[in-house]
Amino acid sequence: MKTTSANRLSRRVFSSLLFALVALFTQPISALPRQKNSKEELLVLPGETGRSGGRLVVSLRAEPKTLNPLIALDVSSREVIGVMQADLVHINRATQLTEPALAKSWKISPDGLQYTLVLRRGLKFSDGSPLDADDVLFTFRVYLDEKVHAPQRDLLIFDGKPISVRKVDAQTLVFQLPKPYGVAERMFDGWAILSRHLLEKPYEEGKIGQVGTLTTPAKEWAGLGPFRLKEYVAGQRLVLERNPYYWKTDTKGNRLPYLDELVFLFVPNADAQVLRFQSGETDMISRLSAENFSVLSRDQKEYTMVDAGPGLEYNFFFFNLSDPGEKTPAEIVQKQKWFREGKFRRAVSAAVDREAIVRLVYQGRGTALWGLVTPGNRRWRDEKLPHPARSLEEARSLLKEAGFSWDTASNGESTLRDSTGKPVEFSIIAQSSSSERSKMAAVIQDDLKQLGMRVQVVPLESRSLLDRVTQTKEYDACVLGAASYDADPNSDINVWLSSGGLHLWNPSQAHPATPWEAEIDRLFNEQMYARTFEQRKNLYDRAQEILREYQPMIFLASPDILAGAKKSVGNFRPAVLEPYVLWNVEQLYLKNDAVNATR
Amino acid sequence: MRYLLRRFGHAVFLLVGVSLLAFTFTTLAPGNYFDEMRLNPQIAPETIAALRTQYELDRPLPIRYAHWVSSVLHGDMGFSFAYNSPVLPLLWVRARNTLLLTITAMLLAWGIALPLGIWSAEHLGRLPDRLLSLGTAALMVIPDLALALGFLVIAVKSGRFPTGGMVSLHFESLAFPGKLGDLFLHMALPITALVLSVLPLLLRHVRAALAEVLDAPFLLAAEGHGISRRTLLYRYALPAAANPLISLFGFSIGTLLSGSLLVEVVMSWPGLGPFLLEAILARDLYVVIGGVLLSTLFLIGGNFLADLLLYWADPRIRTEASV
Repeated sequence: MKTTSANRLSRRVFSSLLFALVALFTQPISALPRQKNSKEELLVLPGETGRSGGRLVVSLRAEPKTLNPLIALDVSSREVIGVMQADLVHINRATQLTEPALAKSWKISPDGLQYTLVLRRGLKFSDGSPLDADDVLFTFRVYLDEKVHAPQRDLLIFDGKPISVRKVDAQTLVFQLPKPYGVAERMFDGWAILSRHLLEKPYEEGKIGQVGTLTTPAKEWAGLGPFRLKEYVAGQRLVLERNPYYWKTDTKGNRLPYLDELVFLFVPNADAQVLRFQSGETDMISRLSAENFSVLSRDQKEYTMVDAGPGLEYNFFFFNLSDPGEKTPAEIVQKQKWFREGKFRRAVSAAVDREAIVRLVYQGRGTALWGLVTPGNRRWRDEKLPHPARSLEEARSLLKEAGFSWDTASNGESTLRDSTGKPVEFSIIAQSSSSERSKMAAVIQDDLKQLGMRVQVVPLESRSLLDRVTQTKEYDACVLGAASYDADPNSDINVWLSSGGLHLWNPSQAHPATPWEAEIDRLFNEQMYARTFEQRKNLYDRAQEILREYQPMIFLASPDILAGAKKSVGNFRPAVLEPYVLWNVEQLYLKNDAVNATR
Repeated sequence: MRYLLRRFGHAVFLLVGVSLLAFTFTTLAPGNYFDEMRLNPQIAPETIAALRTQYELDRPLPIRYAHWVSSVLHGDMGFSFAYNSPVLPLLWVRARNTLLLTITAMLLAWGIALPLGIWSAEHLGRLPDRLLSLGTAALMVIPDLALALGFLVIAVKSGRFPTGGMVSLHFESLAFPGKLGDLFLHMALPITALVLSVLPLLLRHVRAALAEVLDAPFLLAAEGHGISRRTLLYRYALPAAANPLISLFGFSIGTLLSGSLLVEVVMSWPGLGPFLLEAILARDLYVVIGGVLLSTLFLIGGNFLADLLLYWADPRIRTEASV
């Protein structure tokens, strides 16, 4: 896992560089520090100027579990923490590029090992206490502490060696990397800077994992984000209020955020979320399914519905190529002979109707996929990757070459048989909780029937499915999806590397099982430490082409990011990166009448 | 007294049994809470292994059960993996909301079922009674889920009722009557769904029990003495028919509790329902077990209450107990 960690880091560095480049060309870097008074260096955000005041209500599908960024794992907690905390350097979710945040500037040494970050002056936590380099030192000490079990800790370890942080003065910090890392300053995104005066005591007592529960009194919790804790009602809602010390202003010098309050309502299922939005109880909605999106789009009088285009989620189909263990049923071992045949997998891929999946599953609000990198990820997509149309003829000829043959029964149904005469039959497991993936499996079942394969679809509860794929390995084939958390390739490192836990067709290998997997490992590791975007891109493109050639994952489709907001919400600009609608929460505002109405 | 002690003994025995079963079944379900982390590329397998060890998920079942029982005896129901905090306070705030819903629904359901059932028994076989029977039969075959969804549609279409939740956002700013009105408005639909789901059963039992008693000679005699119809029904017939109904009362608590879990999920009522569902799907082991135990406790509490009522209503039990 050491190389994995290093890989992850370099991914991040590289993607940060890329993002930085993209940002330079697509739009001017949005945030330039401006001296407001001698003590405060605030960040000025360009864009539409809004009105102050009002309350914005959004719903969360699950209750957040904690406010503590050290232990948060679930989507809801991360979404809430995202508006209460801030990082040193931030990835702009719209441009996908880095921009200054708590650090007003940074410098990377020529050997790529030293990052010097300069903090903004006059920064204050939401409780009014000042921030300085010691808080940052404390933050990274805690994240790196093994006993804390911070899930992100791994991203700070390169080749088994942790990153080290040194304070130069109250404003300046030096981060020393054991190895150059392609992701560069992108790696600083997402590390919430913690308040030393609040957390040092619990940390010393070994209780830092237990603080920051939702029932924490508002006075005892602070962050650097645009909102701070006001009230939590178990099972019902979380109310945040404006952080008066927030460090961003608009172009007219008004301190952000505009909103007085941000309310998260807990609504336990997607349909109920839509109902709440329809009845006007919530102001914004995201993570919509295509069905719900089209229902809401029918009546657009009171709200704006936006299709932000393909996100970073990729759905795929894969066969069980794992090494059979002692407990693996003989039947699966037998079937694996087919699955291991490259031509068999390519034939299956050629027979899958991806356009039909986009049409049937996403009602056209999605994109067919032939590789892991979605069109939403503009810079890293391999444009050279072919997009062959569905072809049953090609599939048949590939199967014939691999020694398969057909016989036709009296009722006209043909059956595909392998060289020993065994009929080709297998099952596909899919998550029962995801109607989209179950439907994809059904489309594949139908497509493969035309090749004479007999396929059963087995819906399984999420965790049972994961248990089969990653632990017991008792399955034939599976439809699954994953979403990269960032546009940089390194965010998918565990999928690419043969040692990775998400290398799903044969996870966590001690040594690469095939020469092409070894080659992908090599390319991927190399791109992590390459210094220029072009080098990284070339290596990554090559890895994508190998994956396409051997088809261990048969890519299907990527859904669009669908969101909506009341017409009264200003600056509503959904992004394809999480958090889709709240990424610019400090700039969201309520237009005229809405402010008066909620007051 | 011995009767009560025996009942209490049964309750403890039942709780232990339920906890053992809940523990075994939740552990037998494939996958565990930390499985989903494996899909997160940011988390190293070593971290997941360390967390599993921290929460003793790698220890054998009997040892974990023993640890859990000892912590329960110390007033601690275990630890939620997801919330990283003790289970009991998490459950309790939500259980209060569930109780508010179920107790109100229960009172309302019995409040309607008793007079209506008596009235129906009185008019046995006549047109109104037949119509009522038809109505209850129809209600009985509609699943709770369909009822709840139907009411949601009404809420959305009419715009008069909230589409979920327990109180409005401006609840705190309301005066006391306003608060009460707001709560009532939010409770109206889930309660109606719950009442309608349990009412047909109660109604039919009340009717049957009463109809049986109404033919009894002592009532004919009472009628002959010129006692008014009303007094006759409520003062004499009802107590005589009470025994099976009191037993049914305990049972109805269980039905309402399980029904309410479903209604809560559909109508986003912040009770045990949505909370338990999420915990089950996430394999948040101790929350699930705690939730099951708490529901069992409510159920036992309800049955205990029924036993007490029976003890009070039926002199035969008192005699038997004192022997």
